[in-house]
Amino acid sequence: MFKKILVANRGEIALRVIRACKELDIKTVIAYSYEDRESIPVKISDEKVCIGPSSSDKSYLNMAAIAEAVLQTNADAVHPGYGFLSENPSFAGVCRDLNVTFIGPSIPLMKYLSNKLEVKKRLKRANIPTILGSDGVVQSAGEAKEIARKIGYPVLFKAVWGGGGRGLRIVREEKDIENAFSAAREEARVSFGKADVYMERFIEHPKHVEVQILADKFGNVIHLFERDCTLQRRHQKLLEESPSPFLSEKKRKEILDAAVKIARILNYENVGTAEFLLDEQGNFYFIEINTRIQVEHPVTEMCTGIDIMKEQIKLAAGEKLNINQKDVNVKFHSMECRINAEDERFIPSPGRIEKLFIPGGPGVRVDTAIYGGCSVTPYYDSLIAKLIVRGNTRDETIGRMERALDEFIVEGIKTNIPFFKKIVSSDRFKNKDYDTNYIDRNF
Amino acid sequence: MDIKLIRKLIALMQESEITEFRYKDGDLYISLRKGQPQTSSVQSKPAVEKEIGKTDEERELVEIKSPMVGTFYRSPSPGAPPYVEEGQSVKKGDVLCIIEAMKIMNEIEAEFPCIIKKVMVKNAQRVEYGTTLFLAKRA
Repeated sequence: MFKKILVANRGEIALRVIRACKELDIKTVIAYSYEDRESIPVKISDEKVCIGPSSSDKSYLNMAAIAEAVLQTNADAVHPGYGFLSENPSFAGVCRDLNVTFIGPSIPLMKYLSNKLEVKKRLKRANIPTILGSDGVVQSAGEAKEIARKIGYPVLFKAVWGGGGRGLRIVREEKDIENAFSAAREEARVSFGKADVYMERFIEHPKHVEVQILADKFGNVIHLFERDCTLQRRHQKLLEESPSPFLSEKKRKEILDAAVKIARILNYENVGTAEFLLDEQGNFYFIEINTRIQVEHPVTEMCTGIDIMKEQIKLAAGEKLNINQKDVNVKFHSMECRINAEDERFIPSPGRIEKLFIPGGPGVRVDTAIYGGCSVTPYYDSLIAKLIVRGNTRDETIGRMERALDEFIVEGIKTNIPFFKKIVSSDRFKNKDYDTNYIDRNF
Repeated sequence: MDIKLIRKLIALMQESEITEFRYKDGDLYISLRKGQPQTSSVQSKPAVEKEIGKTDEERELVEIKSPMVGTFYRSPSPGAPPYVEEGQSVKKGDVLCIIEAMKIMNEIEAEFPCIIKKVMVKNAQRVEYGTTLFLAKRA
C-alpha cells in the first residue's frame, strides 16, 4: 500500500481523497494554488506545497510544478481527483517517469480510450450496442450525405478526439449537411487539435445512464450498479440518482452485463464508468468510458455502502479486488444535487459566504469544502457542494431531498439551491417525465 | 492641606498592601486608590512590542517571492560566488538566484532596482510558490 499520496486537486474532491487516505492510514500532501491557501484540504492535509498562483494553468494544470512537489515530499502516488489532469495521459507519463503511481488506469489504456471512434468500432465487433453511424472518419460532405441517407435523419457530427460537448453538430435535413460538416471539423480542429469527425444517428429524447465499474490488475471486474444522469444542462450533469427510474429489471440486467463485458474487452483496470444513452424505446447504446473517479460517485456509495474512493486507491496499489459481485446489493435509493455557486441564470456567483448551514439528519450526506466566512473564487469550477440523500424508496428519497434543500442555508453568494427546489418538487421529475434536454428546453 | 502630606500618604500606600484609603477631617476629604497591577502591565505591553517590532526601515522593505515550487540556489554553480550579497544594489533584470524545478535552472531576475537587505532562505533549500526569498529596499 502507498505511504504518502499527493493530492493534485482542490475543493470537495481533494477533501474526499484526504478523508479516504486518513481512513487507510496513508499520509497526504496537498499541492495547492495560492488562492486556496486558506482552504480546508490545505488545513487538514499532513503536508502541503503551494505550486503556483490562482489561475489553474499555472497551478492545478502545471505538471512541472506538481512533479516538483512530488519530488520534494517523496510521495509515492498521485491522486488527480476529477477534472484538471485526471484524464491526461501526459501527466500519467510524468508520474511514471518520477516512479510514482498515477491513481487511474494505465497509460496505454488512457491513450487508447481517447480515440472514441476506435473504441466504438471494437465494441461494435463484440456485439455491444452502439449508436448507428459512420464506420470511420467522415472524409467529405458527399460521404456524409450518403451515410445520413442510410442511417436516417437527424444525424450528429462528433469529434473523434473530442469530448465535453464541443465539436458536436446536429443536422435534421440534407441541405444543412455541408455547413454542419465544415463547422464541426473547424470546431474539432480548434478545440482538440485534430479536425476528424464521425457521424451517428441523433437520439431526440435520450436518457443518460452510466454503470460504475471496479476492475483489478488480475482481470476481476464487478459493477456497482447504475447511476441515472438524465437531468443535465448543456451536457453538464446536475442531478444523479440510483437506481435509474427509467430501466426495467430486464434492461437493467442487460446494461450491467454489457458494462462488465466492455471492461473485460478493453482489459480495463481501476475504477471506471461506462456511459450509455437510452432511446425512446428503451434500447441502450454505449457512448464512452470515463477513467476518472466521477463527481457523482457518492450516489453509488450511498446505495451500496461501498467506499469507491478507498477501493480506487487499493486497486491502484495493485491489490486484488476483495468484493464479489454477489455481495454488491442496492440497499437504498440515492440522489445527488450538484450545488453550484451560480445565479438564477446559471452565471457563476463568486464571493464570500457570510452564513452557512449544512443540512443533516437521517440519510443526508454533504461533500463540500466550504465553510462560513470562506471565499468562493472565480478561478475554478462553480461546484461548491454535493448534497446526497438516500431513502428506502424513490419517493422517500425525493421527500428527503426537498427537506435537505430547505435546510441548506448559504448566504453571501447565489447558488442553484432554489433551482433544485423547483426541479425536485415538480410533477415531471416525480413522474419520471423528462429527458436530457428537459432543462435546456424549460429553464 | 499640605501637598507633602499627600505625597507621604501615597508613599506609605505604595509600600503597604492597602489599595484604597479615605480620610475625612471637617472640610478636608482625601481619597486615594491604588491602580491595579495587572492593568498597568497590560498597558505597558504595546510599548515593549514597539521596541521589538519592525523599524520604520523594515516596514519599507519589499518581499521578493518565489514564482514557483523548486530548490533555491544563490549561485550559478556549486562553489561559485553568490549572485547577490546582503547590502548589494541590483538593477532591474539582474539575476538574484536560481530556482531549480524539474532539472531546469530558472534564473530569477530583479523586477525593479533595489538593495538586497536580507536573504531569507538558505542555499539548496526547497521553496514553494510564494516563499519569501529576499527582503529588498526599492532604490
